[in-house]
Amino acid sequence: MSETRTESGFTRQTYRRVVYGVVGIGILGLLVGIALEHHLLGTVVYLLGAWIGGGIAFLAPRWSDTPLQDERDYELHNRASGLAMGITMALGLSIVPALYVLDAGGYMTISGTIGGGILVASALFLLYGVCLGIVQRRS
Amino acid sequence: MQNNLSKRRQEEGLSQGELAEAVGVTRQTINAIERDRYNPSLELAFKLAAYFDCSIEDIFDPQIE
Repeated sequence: MSETRTESGFTRQTYRRVVYGVVGIGILGLLVGIALEHHLLGTVVYLLGAWIGGGIAFLAPRWSDTPLQDERDYELHNRASGLAMGITMALGLSIVPALYVLDAGGYMTISGTIGGGILVASALFLLYGVCLGIVQRRS
Repeated sequence: MQNNLSKRRQEEGLSQGELAEAVGVTRQTINAIERDRYNPSLELAFKLAAYFDCSIEDIFDPQIE
């Protein structure tokens, strides 16, 4: 089945391959940098991959003369975001309070890693709430 | 919601990609609509109806009982 193609030959499949490929190279570069103890080089490769891949993901749909993303993609992203937030909330509400109670009772100690994870999840929820508020005000 | 988009498209001798380009969406979206896996927005439903020169109800059946 034919893929929708732009005048420049840039298809949706090509778009995805380029974005995922560039970001993937960045992540691979970071891991290789860590493994070979070239942390600065790995970080530079990662940042280039993330910025270039992100830039293409953001700009290509605006510049392309055929749709690389459409309403179905936006709905899929909305559903995936809702599912991710729901899972995070369910896990957070069912586990985090218990962890703090057990920590306070001396039954366990919340490690730095777990504490960091809780902090990140909390920050994500806060960001989600702020973004939801912005979107609600604009709609 | 069911639809006869695939039948109408094939009657016109169009590929999914050609119809997608005509109404400004991706081929995957046309494919998902034809397989009843995605309900299009009102805007897209109107575009499809306008393209086939018919009403939305001629393409989409909401199956409301």
